[in-house]
Amino acid sequence: MAEIAQDSGGGGHKKGPGVKKQARKDARVDMTPMVDLGFLLITFFIFTTTINSPKAFKLNVPDDSAKDEEQTQAKASGAFTVLLSKSNHVYYYEGQLQSDGSNFKSSNFKEIRNELLRKKASTAEKDLVVIIKPNEEANYKNVVDMLDEMQILEIKRYAVVDIAEGENALIMITEGKSPTPAAGGK
Amino acid sequence: MSKLNKIARKSTWVDMTAFVDVSFLILTFFMLATKFKPPEVVNIDNPKSVSSEKVEDKDVFKVSFDKEGRVFVSFSADKDGREKAQLTAEVLGRQKGLGLTPAEISNFIKFSSGGIGVPVNQLKSFLGLSDTEYKAFKQPGIPVSDTLNNQLNDYINALLTGTGGRKPANVMLNGDNATTYPYFKNILSAFKKNGIFSFKLITAMEGVPSGTPLYKTQQTQGGKAAE
Repeated sequence: MAEIAQDSGGGGHKKGPGVKKQARKDARVDMTPMVDLGFLLITFFIFTTTINSPKAFKLNVPDDSAKDEEQTQAKASGAFTVLLSKSNHVYYYEGQLQSDGSNFKSSNFKEIRNELLRKKASTAEKDLVVIIKPNEEANYKNVVDMLDEMQILEIKRYAVVDIAEGENALIMITEGKSPTPAAGGK
Repeated sequence: MSKLNKIARKSTWVDMTAFVDVSFLILTFFMLATKFKPPEVVNIDNPKSVSSEKVEDKDVFKVSFDKEGRVFVSFSADKDGREKAQLTAEVLGRQKGLGLTPAEISNFIKFSSGGIGVPVNQLKSFLGLSDTEYKAFKQPGIPVSDTLNNQLNDYINALLTGTGGRKPANVMLNGDNATTYPYFKNILSAFKKNGIFSFKLITAMEGVPSGTPLYKTQQTQGGKAAE
């Protein structure tokens, strides 16, 4: 291009006085709209991105139809039963429930971890089994939290079992008398 | 001479090139990192867990339940998921005598990526809805609370009959925090009845509390997640 222009100017000679110098075009481009567009798209992608991607929590449940003799028997001494009730209340007892309910205790999600740790430390690993019994008013979050607690405490043997009538009655009595978990059950 | 005496006017022009470079770099990052949320008809608040396993999105059969206890089934939108959705619709229609037309079955496949939560007897009229009607329609949920009429069982049974007993690779449960336990139990019992005992619960991530056995294990394993 430049060569052609020079040729027309007269074979490399200087331009005459009447011929104006061509104004140098600025090579700069106004980038502002491009930046605007760029940031608009960034904003869009930021809002649509799911940063906290969900995680999968594996759960295996036993086959209920298995015959009684095939089912795993829990040693009473190593059993730790956690009962879940409404508004995040947690109750527990160790071993078998006494008929007078004397070993039935009230707790909450914070304290239960210490209780489980204590139980885990004092029991042989093959004997320890945690039984989780949610009642009708417990919610899904409580159940998953409890299962998660098993992961956190590395308790290998645990089961989710339906609550027994007598246990539920104890919860009802406790909640009727003392609605706060801190007050402690009978 | 006169030119030299003049104070040089500073240009107000700012060089935006670097700015553009950075903005497009960020843009590229977000474009590549983005995974669009699949459209959901239900709003579910998942519980948290320390699990760090990624949720698979291929060949998924998902059962969702919201805080009102409405139960939905959904299939992933990939090839396996669509195939299983089709088989489920065909078998369910045959078993229950719904007489589903091919158009209704293709609607089942389409809606199944968002969630289907209607009792079996309402399924035919539900599948007649258009896309916009589907989004606006408040689905009652699949009834599960009655053990004799646990219709989730029918859906799962139709799925397994259709595939000839081949289970979906990923059976997921997507539950809301506030759902009460009996719904969860009934959903599990519907699965157990059909011989599915292994699930993945969809949860939000949570840090492992320090000082706990799992935390210590992770520390000794060099931050590798224990399973």
